[in-house]
Amino acid sequence: MTVVASNPPAASRREQRPARQDSPRLRRLLQYGLMIALIGVSAFFALMSPTFLTPANFGSILVNSFALPAIIAIAMTLAVGSGGIDLSVATAIDLASLAYVSAVAAGWAFPVAVLAGLAAAALTGIFNGLLITGLNITPFLATLGTLFIGRSVQQVLANGGNPVYLSPSKLSTAVKFLAHGSFLGIPLPLYVVGLIALAAFILLELTIFGRSVRAIGARPQVAYFSGLKVRRDIAWIYLLSALVSGSAGILLSSTVSAYIPYSGNAFLLNAIGAAFIGTTLGARGHANIPGTILGVLLLAIIANGLLLIGWNFYWQQVGTGVFIFLILTFSFASKRRQQG
Amino acid sequence: MSVSYSAAAVDQRSAFASGETPARPARRPVHRSLLRTGSLLAFIAVFVAFSLASPLFLTFTNIATVIGQSAIVGILAFGLTSVIIGGGSDVVRGGIDLSLASNLGLGSAVYASLIQAGYGDATAIVATLAVGLSVGLVNAVSIVGIGILPLLATVAVMNICSGLELVLTQNTAISVSTPWLDLLSGADRFGIPYLAYAIGAVAAVLIVALQYTAYGLRLYAVGEHREAARAAGLPVPAYVVSSYLISGLCGGIAAILYTALLSGSTTGSSEMLLPVVATALLGNVFSGRLLPTIGGTLLSTLLIGFLANGFQLLHVSSYWVSGIQGLLILSVVAATSLARRRRS
Repeated sequence: MTVVASNPPAASRREQRPARQDSPRLRRLLQYGLMIALIGVSAFFALMSPTFLTPANFGSILVNSFALPAIIAIAMTLAVGSGGIDLSVATAIDLASLAYVSAVAAGWAFPVAVLAGLAAAALTGIFNGLLITGLNITPFLATLGTLFIGRSVQQVLANGGNPVYLSPSKLSTAVKFLAHGSFLGIPLPLYVVGLIALAAFILLELTIFGRSVRAIGARPQVAYFSGLKVRRDIAWIYLLSALVSGSAGILLSSTVSAYIPYSGNAFLLNAIGAAFIGTTLGARGHANIPGTILGVLLLAIIANGLLLIGWNFYWQQVGTGVFIFLILTFSFASKRRQQG
Repeated sequence: MSVSYSAAAVDQRSAFASGETPARPARRPVHRSLLRTGSLLAFIAVFVAFSLASPLFLTFTNIATVIGQSAIVGILAFGLTSVIIGGGSDVVRGGIDLSLASNLGLGSAVYASLIQAGYGDATAIVATLAVGLSVGLVNAVSIVGIGILPLLATVAVMNICSGLELVLTQNTAISVSTPWLDLLSGADRFGIPYLAYAIGAVAAVLIVALQYTAYGLRLYAVGEHREAARAAGLPVPAYVVSSYLISGLCGGIAAILYTALLSGSTTGSSEMLLPVVATALLGNVFSGRLLPTIGGTLLSTLLIGFLANGFQLLHVSSYWVSGIQGLLILSVVAATSLARRRRS
């Protein structure tokens, strides 16, 4: 906010990291908070339901409730890692889906249709980047505005927000393979997740760009005064976030063979949740891809497990909320005790 | 700390350039008042343009109807505004309540279920307000007591609330009708909807409480500079808790109005979340110092209401409404950040 010297002592005390190392045992335990939560939750469901620990069930979790949310949460992690947030992942998903489905319906070749989808998603990313770096709008508000505008764009382009269905005869083998195919016994969507996660991990953790983004996320002013190209890097982050979300949109519409308007919104809050759970429960203390992946996995396992132990869809949502709440409570309470 | 890295950075750079201590921001309120006048002028321009374009716009009934239609989003936005006042405007680490729309959905489901089960309106009203307050209390305890980030805590509570709503309603619409609900959704003999009175009453109470009392002033102090407020001896946690309670209560009140307007509880109340967030954040430009205020939120609620209504009267496709809202948010926020940047 201002230079440290002008802060009251109480504010700078919170900034001092070394105070945290007072209780190394708790700190070490907290490093693995996410793993512990994941194992604990899995053990609970394994005890409660015999079908939980079967390969078929895990395959279903991974394909049905992990792949798409994971890709979108990776996009969110990029933005959160740079100290921002991207509410318009939903817009990028929908626009990519619309462009891709229209292109496939028009009989374009599969790679061209994919490029069209990614290009549509890139537009939202570029728009966000311009708003955030050019007009100094905070990421939350900029991407919120984009989300609203994206809604209108969809309504105008899709004739009032009508779904566009792909007739099975028009589906090329490539589209079908992307959605339902498998290679070496592993479904193709998981390869897409793996590739995107690996690329994002390398980008954030192992490149100079990633280090710069993390610096911007941790201490924006320090990064600015250290001569980092804050604006350029931030613009790239929002473009990348949109492209990653766009690929989720393409995967989504290949799976359901349709463009369903505003379907991206359903993923938004879970993506935010997973990215922040990964940040706060992880070992690294900043937004990171492994943490996010584990976060998404945790949410998927909770939803699946509650279903298996006989909770219906409605109670399942309550249960998911309560589980997330308990995990957050545990995490923040232990963090606070550590600091206090 | 701050999410708006660039605005903050620019602030500091300009402070360094002018050789002042960055701790004391140089003040030149001209641009701010210009911006405020500008946004008021924009409001008036919208009003005049629609009045000229459509003979139906500037009629007493139409204006009253728009105010009535804005009541539900408006009251939720008041709740969010009070949370932002008490928590600070940093969206991730400051105050935010994303559970408001689900709170409304749950409250409305409780109201409709109770009526359906044969209870009276009085019981249903008390229960709905109690649900709203409890949601606010859960938010407050998890944020102040446990220390969870407001964004995360209220997202979790949002999930719980909308899950409970599904459990109660089994994802169907429950239609109920009682004399009281019919009265509430109707209009008085001048043609003013009772919902318009409702938003007026809630706005009046909150404006007095937050803008004209010691409590309100202290809530602003807590939100804007927590450490200073603590140093001054304010019980900071109590103030933050109170802001979430206000927010929860607003959710309960809005739930009653929602049930009256739709004659029951329907699914899909969560659609209201983003418009509410946008409305509350847009309200900042209507205040002299670009702060969240209830009056500003009221104006932004009405502005969005009049925009939607005007386009409807002009037969502009409703497709454009949300895009125009988005552009409005962006232009207003861009203007705000430009005004801050010029402050050198």
